[in-house]
Amino acid sequence: MIRFLPLIWRNLGRNKVRSSLTGAAIALAIALVCVLRTMPAGLDNFLSTLAKNTRISVHNEAGIVYPLPYSYLQKVRSVPGVVEATTWTWFGGAFEEEKGVTFPNFAVDAETIGAVYEDLGIAPEQLETFRRQRDATLVGRLTLQKYGWKIGDRITLKSTVFPVDLELQIVGEIPAAVDPRAWLQREYLSQALEAQGVSFDLVNMIWARVDDADRVNEVMRTIDELFRNSEAETASETEKSFFGNLFGNLQGFVTVILMVTGMVTLCIVFIAANTASMSIRERVGEIAVMKALGFRWRALFGMLVLEAALLATLAGAAGTVITLGLAQALKSVAGFSPQLGPLASFVVTNAMLVEGLFLACFIGIVSGLVPAFGASRRSVAATLREIF
Amino acid sequence: MIDLRSVSRIYRRGADEVHALERVSLHIPAARFVALMGPSGSGKSTLLNILAGLDRPSDGEVVVAGQRLNDLDEDELAAFRARHVGFVFQFFNLIPVLSALENVELPLLLTHLGKAERRERAATALRIVGLAERAGHSPGQLSGGEQQRVAIARALVSDPEIIVADEPTGDLDAKNAEDTLALLRTLKQEFGKTVVMVTHDPRAEKYVDLVHHLDKGVLFETREGGAAAAGGQP
Repeated sequence: MIRFLPLIWRNLGRNKVRSSLTGAAIALAIALVCVLRTMPAGLDNFLSTLAKNTRISVHNEAGIVYPLPYSYLQKVRSVPGVVEATTWTWFGGAFEEEKGVTFPNFAVDAETIGAVYEDLGIAPEQLETFRRQRDATLVGRLTLQKYGWKIGDRITLKSTVFPVDLELQIVGEIPAAVDPRAWLQREYLSQALEAQGVSFDLVNMIWARVDDADRVNEVMRTIDELFRNSEAETASETEKSFFGNLFGNLQGFVTVILMVTGMVTLCIVFIAANTASMSIRERVGEIAVMKALGFRWRALFGMLVLEAALLATLAGAAGTVITLGLAQALKSVAGFSPQLGPLASFVVTNAMLVEGLFLACFIGIVSGLVPAFGASRRSVAATLREIF
Repeated sequence: MIDLRSVSRIYRRGADEVHALERVSLHIPAARFVALMGPSGSGKSTLLNILAGLDRPSDGEVVVAGQRLNDLDEDELAAFRARHVGFVFQFFNLIPVLSALENVELPLLLTHLGKAERRERAATALRIVGLAERAGHSPGQLSGGEQQRVAIARALVSDPEIIVADEPTGDLDAKNAEDTLALLRTLKQEFGKTVVMVTHDPRAEKYVDLVHHLDKGVLFETREGGAAAAGGQP
């Protein structure tokens, strides 16, 4: 088949406009499929990179919108197996007021946050600055990239929950590529609220790190038992489970995305098949002549399918390049979306690009099969009678 | 070289049967230039297709170059054609995206020859038909006569014993038609090829050794052509 490659290549260039248009359709479809694939992959990636099974969330049994007393923190810390615990309180700060909350931001305990999230890879000196500097904030890489912020920049967040605007200085980065969140000091928020006569002794949730994965279930049971029949009963779950449930409503989105991806693939198979059959129909005479010269039907079938596969694979390669550009553009425009969460992280992996290439090749093969089979099996004598 | 024994060919056209050939028997010795003539629908192209291994008879026996074609399956027939038969068609049927040299090289892609050897043989075939200097031109850049000569070079390049030509002058002007007939005659004279040609062209008679006349699927007359009468010279 290798010796037929120059002929296959020439045939691709036979009708440059048609080949280019079909190639463009396949390239765009592959780019669309790859970009859509980043969305469910973003959720999986978020859960696998950021969520750990040794970190547990303790929140109100009635739901995370119902707070817990701040005093629970000390009790959780005292449970055997808990290495350290910290609190999160949703600050809901908007950077640009008219756009609302564009990235998640929480007031956290500066003293303990580093010990609970030691796996995130935050630079120790940045954590230390965060601990010491009252108006400090640590910002996720995704959000830093989205706004073009850098360490040392000063920003103001207007809370949509509390009646305060906080001016903050970025002192460090939460370095995971898919991390959009920002942390600010609970103490700073507390002081700002006290200045307005508002008391602040509640938290949305407590995060605890357990020393041994095998003890997690036991620790969670102990914590929930501890607050049984109290004013706010707790429900504990692992971080993976917590985020899995939090983003559970996105599964419907994921299903729609997968369905759209399938439909796009099917559409493009039909388009490519139409092009392949037009291209082959124009050449039935030539194909008959080649058979007359002694080309076997399998060789002709292979050449025609390879031609369709080659066009689709080249288009797929272009599609992967478009994917990279498109994902970059979407990331800079969208960043973290409160509605889409990690679905909108638009991180393209090499595996996705390779899958895109294979999908393009598959589209080419499938689209070429039927017309190539028909043309290569057609009787030479009958074709010559009809055409000439 | 070519033996057809009581060959019939029946086509089905809807509910009807079309008898394209009726018990035709024919012997064509090696190194002869033979014309099959007759009105449209007389069965001459069907006969040509059958003896070239492009079509199968409904009945009768076909033996060409010592092989009984009735026994061969599709792949074996393809291999037979590649090895023993060269084809020339009315409308040249060159591949438009290939140069003249590449078109001539095409049948050699089915052999085990290396690229350099293939190119060498294709260039030689083009030289034989007088088109060495047009090797790099695409079919669109060649005249009708030149395209037919490229097609003859393609038929010749794999050195088959038999060359079949279906109306090779049908799309050519008088001058190019004469040149093409002369070239086909040369293939017989100088290279010992057996050339079987379907034609309506009365000019062809003076170039061939034998003329077989068909009508309504029946071979009703065989006579010597002008070349035989002139002692081998047209």
